[in-house]
Amino acid sequence: MIAGAFLVVLGITGGILAFEPELDRLLHPHLSRLKPGGRTLSLVDIGEAASKKYSGEPVVAYLPSSSPDVPTAVILSSGVVSVNQYTGEVLGLRTRGQTVLGFMRALHVRLATGDIGRNILHWSTILMLISLTSGLYLWWPRKRIQIRGPWWSRLFWSDQHNSFGIFSLVPWLLLTATGIVIGFEDEVSSLLDKMYDTKPVHSNQTLARSEPSQASTELTPDQAIAIASAQLPGALPYRLQMPRYGGLYVVSLTYSDNRIGAERNSISLDPRNGRIVAVNQSASLTPRERFMATNEAIHTGNILGMPTRIMAALASILLPLQVVSGLLIWVRRTNILRHG
Amino acid sequence: MNRTIAIVTLLAASAMASDLTGKWSGTFKVDGGDHTVPQLFILKQQGKTLSGSGGPNAGEQYPIENGRIDGDEARFELTAGEWKFAYDLKQTAPGALNGRLKLQSVNDSRTAKVSLASSKGD
Repeated sequence: MIAGAFLVVLGITGGILAFEPELDRLLHPHLSRLKPGGRTLSLVDIGEAASKKYSGEPVVAYLPSSSPDVPTAVILSSGVVSVNQYTGEVLGLRTRGQTVLGFMRALHVRLATGDIGRNILHWSTILMLISLTSGLYLWWPRKRIQIRGPWWSRLFWSDQHNSFGIFSLVPWLLLTATGIVIGFEDEVSSLLDKMYDTKPVHSNQTLARSEPSQASTELTPDQAIAIASAQLPGALPYRLQMPRYGGLYVVSLTYSDNRIGAERNSISLDPRNGRIVAVNQSASLTPRERFMATNEAIHTGNILGMPTRIMAALASILLPLQVVSGLLIWVRRTNILRHG
Repeated sequence: MNRTIAIVTLLAASAMASDLTGKWSGTFKVDGGDHTVPQLFILKQQGKTLSGSGGPNAGEQYPIENGRIDGDEARFELTAGEWKFAYDLKQTAPGALNGRLKLQSVNDSRTAKVSLASSKGD
């Protein structure tokens, strides 16, 4: 019963998080949308507009616009600034700190507490797997797939529990199994590394970098993006880290048609001469990284895009209903046994 | 007797609050997180001001912002892209800095336990 309470939390928060990017944009409409038009300004101009507005803070990174009606974001020390890339108008600043969506994520991952909450949720997912298996065992003899009786009757809730359970079984099994993998990531990673005899750290991640230097920056952010984009045709740049923060330009790119680890492409460039210093490609992920990326894509529903995200959200939201109907059946059965 | 105790206390305090200039390495672990994350700092102390850089390794270093020393306590910040790291450390023994870290993005806020050791020989 206690595990059921945690499953309710997982279900509600999971259903909300399936649409986190959309909800985030909905909560900040003035920072997320603009009317496209005119010539796009250079990233230097966009960065200067943001920096000027906020006490001359240096630009940490750029998040180039992903669509003509989406503003360019400039990351500063004090937060993330949205800038109209056509006019240079600063649309606003989002400061760092927990929001409602951040709290939902914290609840989903660790019950908004520390190690105790995380461990409770890990073991709740194991109990969920046991409940699903036992539920299938109980459903099998009668194979109920229709709901009968008025909503207040025991028959109604019993039928609801049976029919919703069987139709949602596969998504719930997928969400639970992938949730267990995420919960026990260290153990699973270690097992996969042993199976495939791979090193725990991706070899490309430890390539040498230039010494951090402010004065020697010669390459412009736009040039850095152009060089990186030419290396990975078809990939879209979604982030550019400035050399002051890490010593190199780091351009992150994604493929819109690939949803498994597609965002894990990055090209590091020497800011003095544009020389490519390091390349990380999603195509060269280790078996462990690929497994984990696939697992995450299934868990979040991103694996096949919007249809699977909707399916993941629906399955998550139905979970609390299943817990409630299961509880009602149990309470009524206990009362019948107690009072004859 | 009291004078001796006072001198010993003063000496112990000054030994604890020694200059933090140099390399410091260690890890942080986010509360409720799975992994420990490696940390390497190259610190420079000038009076009560702390500067330098920090990051996960020598190749990826971010400039220290708002660094200040207050007795045996050190506070500073790093902005590594979307995340801002605010350290609140205390020199618990010569060559040992321990304390807390607050990580914040535009949606999220988390805390972590930090443990660093001086590696001046490097």
